[in-house]
Amino acid sequence: MIEVKNLNQSYTKHGKKKTLENINLTVKEKAITALIGPNGAGKSTLLGVTANLIKPLSGMVMINGIDVRNIKTDELAKKLAILKQTHNINIRITVKDLVEFGRFPHCGGRLTDIDKQKVKESLEYMNLVGMEERYLDELSGGQRQRAFIAMILAQDTPYIFLDEPLNNLDIKSSVEMMKIIKSLVTELDKTIVVVLHDINFASAYADYIVAMKNGRIAGEGSMEEMITKEVLDEVFDHDFNIVTHQGRNVCLYFDRTFNRRKIYEVI
Amino acid sequence: MHKQAILREKRTVIIFAILAVLLVVSVLLYIYSRTYAKALRLNIVMDKSAFSSIMGRTIPALIGMGAAAVLIAVVSLAFQTITGSRILTPSMIGFDSVFVGTQTVLVFLFSSMSKAFTNPYLNYLIVAGTMVTVSMMMYGSILRSNKNNLVFLLMFGLILSGIVRSGSTYLQVIMDVNDFNQVRAATSVTVNNMNTKIIFIALPLMVAVISIMLARHKIYDVMSLGPDNAKSLGIPYEKEMKFSLFLISVGMSVATALIGSLAFLGLLAVNIARELLKTYKHVYLFIGSAGLAALALIAGQAVVELLQGAVPVTVIIDLIGCSYMFYLILKENRV
Repeated sequence: MIEVKNLNQSYTKHGKKKTLENINLTVKEKAITALIGPNGAGKSTLLGVTANLIKPLSGMVMINGIDVRNIKTDELAKKLAILKQTHNINIRITVKDLVEFGRFPHCGGRLTDIDKQKVKESLEYMNLVGMEERYLDELSGGQRQRAFIAMILAQDTPYIFLDEPLNNLDIKSSVEMMKIIKSLVTELDKTIVVVLHDINFASAYADYIVAMKNGRIAGEGSMEEMITKEVLDEVFDHDFNIVTHQGRNVCLYFDRTFNRRKIYEVI
Repeated sequence: MHKQAILREKRTVIIFAILAVLLVVSVLLYIYSRTYAKALRLNIVMDKSAFSSIMGRTIPALIGMGAAAVLIAVVSLAFQTITGSRILTPSMIGFDSVFVGTQTVLVFLFSSMSKAFTNPYLNYLIVAGTMVTVSMMMYGSILRSNKNNLVFLLMFGLILSGIVRSGSTYLQVIMDVNDFNQVRAATSVTVNNMNTKIIFIALPLMVAVISIMLARHKIYDVMSLGPDNAKSLGIPYEKEMKFSLFLISVGMSVATALIGSLAFLGLLAVNIARELLKTYKHVYLFIGSAGLAALALIAGQAVVELLQGAVPVTVIIDLIGCSYMFYLILKENRV
């Protein structure tokens, strides 16, 4: 179980301007938790601090009752894997080699038969068979993202954090990616926290939604509780229309009134 | 295993074999240039005793050059990995100037007669200690707070070496003439004029740094995925970075004190190795760039000897290495 207690974080020295303020959160086990909120709300920071990539100013993160700062980095890597949004890798690497890195916390780079089996399974699970020897820079955005998820999967951790996994993906790839993430929970019993920019993806696939604004948690709850006009208008400072489709709330957020300036003329 | 993977492995083996042959040839050429070529030029007969007496000086020179070249290559590769860049090397951002600066300040404060300057071991320890402290403090804090901010790092290095260089020039101008000459002698070590007095402390240190870095090649592989991925995979990134910076500072201080500054050698060897081997695996890159650096230095030095020292070896390395780099860059851009 992951619990976040009284977490504060600031990028300025003395903590005047806080990026995270008094965050208390318990991550739902074996479910997808979506973090939503406007830019600069602190979603990625919260993910980074929880995964111990960034040190918090105060407060703590507990995994199964132990403070993460007291867990050795290599032990933590067997419990929790995180994929950040900008994986700008400047090395030329094949899909298989990348996925094999996922086994590093378990074998220190010397792959045993079990490790090879795990790599094979993750490649199969992510539908990457036949692409093992392709280089990452030869792949499409969707395939590359799948390769990274395969690495995380090979790491074989109960907790997986994904920071905007749909970034730069087209609609088809995004839907595929969300389906894969969903199946990680339903088939492999993973606990997933994912930062999402598109609220509709959160509404359609997340089991639990946490909304953030200005470094605080503005609300948390199920899809029915969170994807409502009252909550979203407050979180995003925007006028939402909510419709229901196949039992899920869908947000319509475009605004057709050009009252200040005719935007299309400017463009 | 897949066909492509086997082909890649085969290619690596061939490259290493060619490299080994070239290295042996250049070592032989170097020995030839110092013995028979010289004898031929001076019209004297090369008998056994003369040969062995020359070899007595040639072999330490070869060992010194080889170890320094390997060290510079290994250290440069590790530095590129932790900074996540292919253009930076430790010497490009002011490591050498700290060496000159420390020697100058030492002589300025305690004069050239003091123990701190005349005792080679004490002197080396002071200089190395300063280099390690300065670089750990400065680069450590920069790399921690400005992750991957290369431009800032490069600018900082240029400013640091500028300040240190002009500061030491100023001190050298106002110091005693005798002291000045001593400083100049101590800071103008080159491949021809190796500081062999510290060889007994330098060689073990070099071997230690090289072997520690080689042993950790898997960790560097993971670190080349970037700080976030490396941390997610269980690498204590900050700790590893600090430790690597420490090793790099020690390595650079040994190499600079022993054979002086070889600014381009690391950059060239590492980049050419990357292009030839086309891999991210540090075990191959370490060996490849080390071999290339040793080859460049020894072959270059052999040519210098054959040309009777008309050009310094750094000129040859820069000339050949840079033309090859140009070729690589142009080729890469065309595709």
